[in-house]
Amino acid sequence: MNFFCGKKIFYASTKKAKKKWFTIALVFSLLPLFYFKYANFFIDSFSNLAYYFGVNSNKYVLNVILPVGISFFTFQALSYSIDIYRKRVGVETSLIRFTTYVAFFPQLVAGPIERSTNLLQQFYEKHEFDVKRFVEGGKLFIWGLFKKIVIADRLALYSDSVFNNPEAHSGTTLIVATVFFTFQIYCDFSGYSDMAIGSARMLGFRLMQNFNLPYLSNSIGEFWKRWHISLSTWFSDYVYIPLGGNRVSIKRWVFNILVVFLLSGLWHGANFTFVIWGALHAFYYLIEFIGKKMLTIAGGKHLMEKGYYKFFKIVIVFTLVCFAWIFFRANSVSDAFLIITKIASFSGHLWTGVSSVTTVLSVLLILLLVSVQILQFYNIVPIYFSKTKLPWFVQWLSYAFLLITIALFGMSSNAFIYFQF
Amino acid sequence: MIKKHSSNKSLKEYLKKGLLFLLLLIILDNGINYFLLNGLYQYYGLYNKNKIALVGHSHLMLGIDKVKMEKELHVNISKYTREGVNIVERDLMINQLLKSNQQLKLIVYAVDAWMFTGEGLSKNSYKQFYPFMGENTIKNYVYKNASLEDYWQHRLIKSSRYNEGLVSGSFRGYLKSWDNLKVGAVDTITLDSDIKKGNFRRIVSSSKNRRIFENTIKKISEKNIKTILLYVPTTSRYNNAEMEKFNLEIAYFKSIESKFKNVIFLDYNVLYSSNTSLFYDRIHLNPEGQKLVTNSFIEYLQKHFTTN
Repeated sequence: MNFFCGKKIFYASTKKAKKKWFTIALVFSLLPLFYFKYANFFIDSFSNLAYYFGVNSNKYVLNVILPVGISFFTFQALSYSIDIYRKRVGVETSLIRFTTYVAFFPQLVAGPIERSTNLLQQFYEKHEFDVKRFVEGGKLFIWGLFKKIVIADRLALYSDSVFNNPEAHSGTTLIVATVFFTFQIYCDFSGYSDMAIGSARMLGFRLMQNFNLPYLSNSIGEFWKRWHISLSTWFSDYVYIPLGGNRVSIKRWVFNILVVFLLSGLWHGANFTFVIWGALHAFYYLIEFIGKKMLTIAGGKHLMEKGYYKFFKIVIVFTLVCFAWIFFRANSVSDAFLIITKIASFSGHLWTGVSSVTTVLSVLLILLLVSVQILQFYNIVPIYFSKTKLPWFVQWLSYAFLLITIALFGMSSNAFIYFQF
Repeated sequence: MIKKHSSNKSLKEYLKKGLLFLLLLIILDNGINYFLLNGLYQYYGLYNKNKIALVGHSHLMLGIDKVKMEKELHVNISKYTREGVNIVERDLMINQLLKSNQQLKLIVYAVDAWMFTGEGLSKNSYKQFYPFMGENTIKNYVYKNASLEDYWQHRLIKSSRYNEGLVSGSFRGYLKSWDNLKVGAVDTITLDSDIKKGNFRRIVSSSKNRRIFENTIKKISEKNIKTILLYVPTTSRYNNAEMEKFNLEIAYFKSIESKFKNVIFLDYNVLYSSNTSLFYDRIHLNPEGQKLVTNSFIEYLQKHFTTN
């Protein structure tokens, strides 16, 4: 539909006709997403609301299986229609090229969400085998694989057990599970992105960067510039800016921020836990904005430049992000509140996990990841973990270490968390 | 032409580097395998001249303190226990012990009422034997159980034969640490409720498994090695879930005692199974329980056995 509508939008002679075909493209792109992902959520929410007002309706549930990565390829296809409508990209005449763009296998199921302006154009280029590029892509792929099957899947053993049965665990255990999940979701998702970008690079394609050390952000605004970059820029380009961005009244701006964050939450899943997660981030963002303004007025601008202040802010942002992940991971809103209540008590025995060796190893792996990220932060090891300034033997040993660790501690059964989105 | 020439040069350069890197990987892979395997041999007491061997699964692993036994009995002991091993794997372990320890005088074979039940133990427990794929019998056993892809992956990449449990076992071997780390007592309320709900492992004795077991015992007897069938206690609440079947299994072990001349059956359930404070969970002893059972067992061996 997007391919067909794209042609109609491009060749339409009037603005009205362009708008008509663009609306058709939007509706036909979003309908399957709505049907597969959100229909049950809305049916459930409406019947709950009706029950609240005294109307007893029989709950109807659609028995459908969610296609893998539907949100990703819907957004990718949509970006093409929007870009054509905005005249940012020319019409694509080849259906094969277009479908290859929408279903480009390295990033098909979990992103990064590509733009027609970047990826589609690359299908016009000739891609010759380049050994240097192949090796660089391979290095990134290995780093992604390590993050996924060595770190994320191991952390999942602890966090899944705890989050799936929060009643049975103490506040202390729930804190550890939350921190573990914070690193698990990062390693899972950024691991997949690295593997996607790496394998595409091996084939000669350049995909956009999706993560840039998000847990080292010293503001929520910065966090969203570093976390799932392809989704946040998608929402910024195709939702926030069309709504007026920040060039509007303060009330309207607050509304725009809320819309973008709530949509981002809902994009992750049809559950109120995701909506609250999005709302929490919107709240953080607004509070941070107000705090920054107040500090500037109070003359504290020089304080913002201090190293210790930045470090303090990194810790605060990390804690806030961890807290929000509770809603993201909890099986229900009531579970999330139970977890928070228990965490507030800060008591009870610490569960050492399915095996204490696994838990200790998980902590060591988190420390390793943080150390590498600090090296990346100071540009000693670049984000893509190649072209490092370190001597060749350190590089070789580090890659050998990664491969041996994958062989020793790699787990192979857990699916990627982001496949469900 | 010049461009093509330079890209050929860089391809050659990368191939050279790639081969060297592969060589580094092979060396590292074999080195790590050698180090970890040696640690495991020490942990399990394989390939040495020990006179007593303890063989079984996690019941025995947590139930008997090998270090205390060695200290009190002044004899070196192999403790070859693997989590969730089935009856065929126990036979495999005995074969490995008999082959690697020529001086064995006594094998303590851990038994329990569920050991002839085919279902319930880990279906992938064969994976624990990956590190020993260098030995033909183990290699063949893994070949029969694993998928072809799995088999070849573990055969070629030796580091992939280990997981964190095995790495930890190997390090414990080097550090000579066999402590029971399962501290705490069984949650009796949950246990009772689970039993009430029928949420427990059933006792189903398979005659095929019994046959394999008897063959193993026969094999040990033929080597003129004594065997103690040791029942490390499990909680009486759990044992009583299927009391009749449980008693039948105990009667069977007693019958083995009379069937083979070098076999003794020792059941510590009678003494300890009703004291729930000695158990970490429904089937495993905590360090306190381990201490009591080990003391009783040492006392028994001091009275009835000499390894000279």
